[in-house]
Amino acid sequence: MPHINYESKELAFKMVYYGPGLSGKTTNLVYIHKALEAGRRGDIITLDTEEERTLFFDFFPLDLGRIGGYNIRLHMYTVPGQVYYEASRRLILDGADGIVFVADSQQDRLNENVNSFRMLQENLGDYGVNWKEFPLVLQYNKRDLADILPLGTLEGQLGLNGIPVLEAVAIAGTGVMETIRVASREVIERFQM
Amino acid sequence: MNEDAAQNPGPVTHILSSLIERSGALTALLVSKEGMVITEAGDTSYLNTTAMAALVAGMFSATREVARIVGEKHFSILLQQGESRHIHISLIHDSKMMVLIFEDHQRIGLVRYEARRAGEELNSILMPTLKPSEAEQISTPQFKEYALNLIDRIFQAK
Repeated sequence: MPHINYESKELAFKMVYYGPGLSGKTTNLVYIHKALEAGRRGDIITLDTEEERTLFFDFFPLDLGRIGGYNIRLHMYTVPGQVYYEASRRLILDGADGIVFVADSQQDRLNENVNSFRMLQENLGDYGVNWKEFPLVLQYNKRDLADILPLGTLEGQLGLNGIPVLEAVAIAGTGVMETIRVASREVIERFQM
Repeated sequence: MNEDAAQNPGPVTHILSSLIERSGALTALLVSKEGMVITEAGDTSYLNTTAMAALVAGMFSATREVARIVGEKHFSILLQQGESRHIHISLIHDSKMMVLIFEDHQRIGLVRYEARRAGEELNSILMPTLKPSEAEQISTPQFKEYALNLIDRIFQAK
């Protein structure tokens, strides 16, 4: 359920990039931020460690425009991927309207992807959300590397039938805008008051 | 805040504006636990309120987990003391945060007193409200069509 401010006429949707550590969630967010015209984006906030791993979250607000007198915004968040930041991840998912699951395509990262997705199911469950009825998009990132998982691997293992799947090389920007486009369309199409 | 809101302040803005006057604070914000600004009052020219709201919500959530670890349901007040500016945050309705930024630390007693008072007023009016006519307007098929067009245009592959 998006945040509606009747007083200031704003409608804001919370988009969260979720996935295992070092899968490229922040890279996605930073690319989108750079690609947008300056008037559409607020400052990006990054709370990371000295090793540039996200500690709490990354965030920036994105203005879609004005419809029917309302300013429509996306609030873009990433969560920290490392297993030990479970509490932070759960907190940031609170009130999410849509999720992009950024999977690391490398063969040897299969277990991390699967475990991270199971944690996502659990975290959403904590908020009474059934992920199967939730706007969710799967991005296979790092498609430029050797020894990558074939498309369909995660869908098969996790029973992800019918969710949008996209390929990306986030570091080069490939597939990044298409992913957020598809994810935000999912959010808007399922949006109901 | 847009012009409509500035010209027609609602009851929440009114409470925050009175709080600013009575406490001598610089800025007051009401923030949702999802990290969105609900209302703001006072001077916000020096402040990125959107970023502030996201960070305050994160901070409060983290503090709530800390509270649970020590056997509390939540900590209802957070106080951040700086050299020249200080922040008093209080939990409203278990789902919103009232943020008060002030400069004179000698006034902490007054700030706490007035914040509690404003918190009680907010508690009494901030029951979940939905304006059905506006809600219907937002969820019309036309709204969705416009929004989808905007999305397609803004997120063209670059």
